[in-house]
Amino acid sequence: MSSGYKPDILWSPHHADRYVICDTELSLYRIGPAGSPETKAGALPLSEQTAATLLAINSDTPYMKCVAWYPKHEPECLLAVGQANGRVVLTSLGQSHNSKCKELVGKEFVPKHARQCNTLAWNPVDSNWLAAGLDKHRADFSVLIWDISSKFSPEAVPAEKVRLSGDVDSGLVVTKPLYELGQNDACLSLCWLPRDHQKLLLAGMHRNLAIFDLRNTSQKTFVNTKAIQGVTVDPHFQDRVASFFEGQVAIWDLRKFEKPVFTLTEQPKPLTKVAWCPTRMGLLATLTRDSNIIRLYDMQHTPMPFGDEVEPTIIERSVQPCSESIISSFAWHPSAQNRMVVVSPNRVMNDFTVFERISLAWSSTTALMWACGRHLYECTEDAGQGAAAAEKDIATKMRERAQSHYGHDTVQVWRNHVLAGGDDPQLRSLWYTLHFMKQYTENVEQKQQSNKQSLIYSGIKNIVKSSSGTTETRRCWSGSDRQTDVPRYHSEERSLALQLCGWISRGPDIDVEPFLKSLEQEGEWERAAAVALFNLDIRRAIQILNKGASAEKGDLNLNVVAMALSGYTDEKNSLWREMCSSLRLQLKKPYLCIMFAFLTSEPGTYDAVLYESRVAVRDRVAFACMFLNDAQLPRYIDKLTYEMKEAGNLEGILLTGLTKDGVDLMESYVDRTGDVQTASFCMLKGSPGEVLKDPRVQCWIENYRNLLDAWRFWHKRAEFDIHRSKLDPSSKPLPQVFVSCNFCGKSISYSCSAIPHQGRGFSQYGVSGSPTKSKVTSCPGCRKPLPRCALCLMNMGTPVSSCPGTGKADEKADLTRDKKLAQFNNWFTWCHNCRHGGHAGHMLSWFRDHSECPVSACTCKCMQLDTTGNLVPSDSV
Amino acid sequence: MELHILEHSLKVASIAKEGIQICTHGLIKLAFLPSKTSLTEIRLNCWWKPVNNWKRREKCKFFSLTETPEDYTIIVDEDGFKELPESEYLSVAEATWLALNVVSGGGNATSSQPIGVTKIAKSVIAPLADHNISVFMLSTYQTDFILVRERDLPMVMHTLSSEFTLLRVVNGEAVAANSTGVTNGFVKPKLVPRPIIHPLSSPSNMFCVTSLDPDTLPSVATLLMDVMFYSGGAKETGGQSEDSGHIRFFSFSLIEGYISLVMDEQTTRRFPNNVLFTSASGELWKMVRIGGQPLGFDECGIVAQISEPLATADIPAYYISTFKFDHALVPEENIQSVIGALRTNESTGQ
Repeated sequence: MSSGYKPDILWSPHHADRYVICDTELSLYRIGPAGSPETKAGALPLSEQTAATLLAINSDTPYMKCVAWYPKHEPECLLAVGQANGRVVLTSLGQSHNSKCKELVGKEFVPKHARQCNTLAWNPVDSNWLAAGLDKHRADFSVLIWDISSKFSPEAVPAEKVRLSGDVDSGLVVTKPLYELGQNDACLSLCWLPRDHQKLLLAGMHRNLAIFDLRNTSQKTFVNTKAIQGVTVDPHFQDRVASFFEGQVAIWDLRKFEKPVFTLTEQPKPLTKVAWCPTRMGLLATLTRDSNIIRLYDMQHTPMPFGDEVEPTIIERSVQPCSESIISSFAWHPSAQNRMVVVSPNRVMNDFTVFERISLAWSSTTALMWACGRHLYECTEDAGQGAAAAEKDIATKMRERAQSHYGHDTVQVWRNHVLAGGDDPQLRSLWYTLHFMKQYTENVEQKQQSNKQSLIYSGIKNIVKSSSGTTETRRCWSGSDRQTDVPRYHSEERSLALQLCGWISRGPDIDVEPFLKSLEQEGEWERAAAVALFNLDIRRAIQILNKGASAEKGDLNLNVVAMALSGYTDEKNSLWREMCSSLRLQLKKPYLCIMFAFLTSEPGTYDAVLYESRVAVRDRVAFACMFLNDAQLPRYIDKLTYEMKEAGNLEGILLTGLTKDGVDLMESYVDRTGDVQTASFCMLKGSPGEVLKDPRVQCWIENYRNLLDAWRFWHKRAEFDIHRSKLDPSSKPLPQVFVSCNFCGKSISYSCSAIPHQGRGFSQYGVSGSPTKSKVTSCPGCRKPLPRCALCLMNMGTPVSSCPGTGKADEKADLTRDKKLAQFNNWFTWCHNCRHGGHAGHMLSWFRDHSECPVSACTCKCMQLDTTGNLVPSDSV
Repeated sequence: MELHILEHSLKVASIAKEGIQICTHGLIKLAFLPSKTSLTEIRLNCWWKPVNNWKRREKCKFFSLTETPEDYTIIVDEDGFKELPESEYLSVAEATWLALNVVSGGGNATSSQPIGVTKIAKSVIAPLADHNISVFMLSTYQTDFILVRERDLPMVMHTLSSEFTLLRVVNGEAVAANSTGVTNGFVKPKLVPRPIIHPLSSPSNMFCVTSLDPDTLPSVATLLMDVMFYSGGAKETGGQSEDSGHIRFFSFSLIEGYISLVMDEQTTRRFPNNVLFTSASGELWKMVRIGGQPLGFDECGIVAQISEPLATADIPAYYISTFKFDHALVPEENIQSVIGALRTNESTGQ
């Protein structure tokens, strides 16, 4: 009490730029942009952008307790002031007194017994009505509803009786209220109910919240509660009311007025103001005494009404509008979003906007969406050029690859790396490996039923382990009669490994020439030369290099290399050897480098070749298979396999094959890249028994399917499932939905699949042209007819006639397409709600234009009930 | 109608005039500084104080001081009672009292012209008198409190349960209080006419029942202290005495944050304009003083004897009991008819 009056703040209901501060006097301010010409020199800065100009001061009304702003446009700036002695005075601010206002300003409304006026509220509709809530008096009413247009009451008190009430201009005094409510108690707060302007919600009626209806004041709805210090109705949800006491806020639903819907967490200090945000749904701001923060409760996602069993979801935040300074009061701006002005006890004002929480979400593609306030922002990946394109996220890559049918080329398996974009050497290696593996599996299958198949898919590591009967040869350099001292090893397994490496083609001959030709075609001159050299054909190597140098865009340096190569001598201490072994390290091209490494190495010690990591694994492995002995080879292969597994390098699949080791390798590849797509397609080719059962593999496959679903690539998903079920028959789902006959109750598809030649479920049921066609319109069990399609009125099982809507020309062009679709068009489909249905094709075209069921008199909104019905796949068939 | 049984445990005490100076320290604290926090807050807090805060026992929520020519009567709750020193000048009624408060329930808002004690005379005071329950009345600007002994509470509840919805205030929240149904041993009362036993007197000065905004209390605190503790002596030396029909009577109460004042018209003139709350009609009251000898606390039916005839005559009244005597305030224009009615009752009784 010693601190005097704390300023309160009030926005003009109609001028978005005006507000009133009331403490001992009323001050009208106009808010405007800071530094603009219309804001004068004396403007008070409210924030970085805004400043306030004092327009008028009114100190006619002392002992102010509460103020309410007249809600109508005209007269503007009319204020009702409730005083400490219970009188309500109408006053005005900053107005050139027009006639209407003049009549009202200065009018006083005096209760029979003086006591403090706690609260005032204008009726939102009958704006002549002003409700005043007063403290209690033993014999008087605490709520008085005044009619401001009422004239001076003639039966006013005789003059000599006005002894204590001071000098009163009796001409403007009204003593007879329109309504009186609530005897023998205080009214601490009140508000009119926006839903029904005749109803008034009062707080303080004997620890009650009470609703009075002015049409029948003897009836009231009330509830006993402590939370009566203040009440306020949610402007966005007119049945929701907040009331408070001490540090606690109770939220009420007027439709269930028996008890609070919920109470907010108690604050340690008593509350001084609670206000709903007028511009934002379900946002409540609260202020406690001597505090510098405003606490916000976001009830936007709190269902109203909600059951007792649910915890309300309320997001609590606090804001600090003016740093350390204590807030005396605040007021939401009536129209600017989330904006408020706060005032401190020493009248320092602050313009403040509560920043809306940001919520953000990733789309299933790489787009990012975030929302703040009423704004929605979408952020998509920049279609970058050059370098940026290489940095594409794996999800983007997988999406693109899925669209280009990556993984689905089962004939020319190597082509899949082209479908993947053709720019990833690891994928290239992987698909070539799988291609060779498949090729030789088929080859072996054709020739003999042996155990080779498992051996091939198990990779070179296992193949060389089982190696036996290795022979050692020392061959001449082809084209010369000089004997080399390089031992070369042969065995059946080694040549199989060379085949898998792609160096030699299938068949008995071990000629490397076709491989060299293909490398020449692709312009891989260095590699071809190296392969030729390793096959001890130094002349061919030189020839290849010459060819490379003379080719278009060829590297002339290759000629120089060819010259160097031609000087080869096997003398141990020659200058050539010495210079080559040191200078080769400066060669940038790895294949050229290993060529000289090979020529300058001692037999059996080819580490410079074997551990040159820039050289493709398959070439190093092929080299090893040729020049390492039985002891060295498995050791080298094991070591290399381990390296590949550690690095997750797909080239290593050549070594591991599609085995447990392969899954390990793929695991580290997926860990590194996240590319479940490649992992799924690759592992599907593995043996169903071991590899596919591995939980990791199943996980990759499921994740890839989920990804496709999330991208709405439903057709791709279906294609993948078909592809999968071909390779892994156990993954084929059992039919889960059956159509049963209305008469005998048996599944029509069940009896169908019982016939072995038709055993494909009802999906193919009714396809035209079948010899058993005459019977498919009836139940195979009891021969009763199947239900009729609601649209064509034919019995189900008959094929759909031509699709309406497509022109003749289109039909012809899309014949194959139509044929595919026709299968689906004949499917049974029905609404789970009204149980009407028919041919899927008919239903689809009906619901393209309708939302209601096609059956007359059925009002079922079938399509709206289907939550996925309106989703469109984002891939085409 | 609801009857609220308030949670204050009250003591009624008397301070002899000559001993007032040893009590003023406590009394000033109770009247003007009830806690470290502001008065407004107390008023807002009074109904719903959480449990743990009650135990702090620093805030007195029920305090009334009434000065009569004989003594000062103090009604104070247990927390406030600790502020008073033990002294030979301080006599305390042995019982603990509970305050009852009648609430109209707000329903029949239009039909209640008779105000104050009159309204509850028939419904509360008479039935209690019939059951030989002694009551102690305290009317304030805001409401009427009926004080009953704590030990009489079961009987009170039994008596009034038929007429009222009984609510007991616990930690600021009103909860239904059920009459325990102890009817055994309660004698059905004989309804006999109630003659007025005690002598009546009516002083000549007129009184004002008023209140003020707690925010303005500091500005008139020194004046109030003067009126409460130092004006009596001055008036006596000034030669005014009771013989001239003038009575020294002043009452101040601060109950649950609400201030109520009863003082004579002369005293009100000492206050600045617009501080005291007044009725629009500026009504004034005359006093009827009951009792020749100190009335004591055991006799019952005294309030009923006075209030019933007033209720019958539809005359509004305030009723303030003090340690020794009772005081009724009636509108000045009704004083003659009141005296008349009471005298009639008196004579019929004899």
